[in-house]
Amino acid sequence: MVPQGGGAVAQPAGGTGNLYDVLELVLDRGLVIDAFVRVSLIGLEIAKVDARVVVASVDTYLRFAEACNRLDLEEGRKAPAQLTDVVQSVEEGGAKGKSKGALTGAVEAFTESFQKRRGDDEREKEHEQVERGSSRRSSEDRED
Amino acid sequence: MSVYVYAITKDSHPLDLNGVKGVGESPAELRTVHSGSLCAVVSEAPEELSVSRRDLEAHHGVLGHLWADGTILPLSFGFVAQDEDAVRTVLEERAEQFSQRLEEFTGRAEFNIKGLYDQDALLRAILETSEQARALNEATREGGGTYEDRLALGELVAQEVQTRQDAIAAEVLTALRPLAASEKVAEPSQQYFVNASFLVDSERADEFTRTAQELAERYGKDVELRLRGPLPPYSFA
Repeated sequence: MVPQGGGAVAQPAGGTGNLYDVLELVLDRGLVIDAFVRVSLIGLEIAKVDARVVVASVDTYLRFAEACNRLDLEEGRKAPAQLTDVVQSVEEGGAKGKSKGALTGAVEAFTESFQKRRGDDEREKEHEQVERGSSRRSSEDRED
Repeated sequence: MSVYVYAITKDSHPLDLNGVKGVGESPAELRTVHSGSLCAVVSEAPEELSVSRRDLEAHHGVLGHLWADGTILPLSFGFVAQDEDAVRTVLEERAEQFSQRLEEFTGRAEFNIKGLYDQDALLRAILETSEQARALNEATREGGGTYEDRLALGELVAQEVQTRQDAIAAEVLTALRPLAASEKVAEPSQQYFVNASFLVDSERADEFTRTAQELAERYGKDVELRLRGPLPPYSFA
């Protein structure tokens, strides 16, 4: 899905942020029906590894101490942006390509239709055609 | 023949499935299973399913596509029913429950917000304000100081990190909460100090996004807020 350019809302660079940000919604949320079977999912553990909560432990403390120790405070004042970007992208695979100080994220491709649906709560009846192609699938396979 | 189930919706949904690809290496065609006023969108279950970009994107894509045309109950990734009859039975037996939820979601969407801190910037800020932390940091740099000093530094900093992150997380939730009909807040993780989903009425979607934008601006460059939405109501189904 191609995010639409949306006003002041920045989009993550390089497309990978897209799925990444909704991964846990697709995997862990959503309706679960006990009469159906979840196929065994290879890779699920890896995908969920980041869900660990920060715990107060000796390991955590030592990690923080080490992180403080290796900060170059002088350097940091001079050029914080580059330095922190590099360190962070190594540490946290997911945080790449972010634009700081801004709200990032992708406006979903179906935003437009969500807004279009405003007001007409019950779309029960005949779903009278909206101008062709503009109300759904704003990006992918609109045939012209 | 077992079937992969994507979503449940009303029979009155346009169900325009043209050109939409399902899960699997060579995706089977999407089709619908009807019962009463409800229907489920399914495809023949693929032989192999993995937590891969291909299949996750396909699942998310089908739901997004359907959701753009009308209200749906999105199923979690990876659920398979024995056959179409099994799907029909579920639709029949739980018709009331499903219809009620579909009602609740009409005109609403999920928005998910995640907050990330730039760790080094946060540590710098803490060292700048805490004399004790600064002293311990100086003492333990380049292999100096004792093990206890390092632990003390780490504990002090960890607590301060926690305090600062909790404070911002609380502010974010407090600001967005009044704009939502419902919420689901995940435990903070190593990566996200705040991670919450909100169910938002379409009339308030703009205001919601604007409020998130204002929060992001207020916190400046060391905090990143990621907003995703509108999405199908994964967290509330």
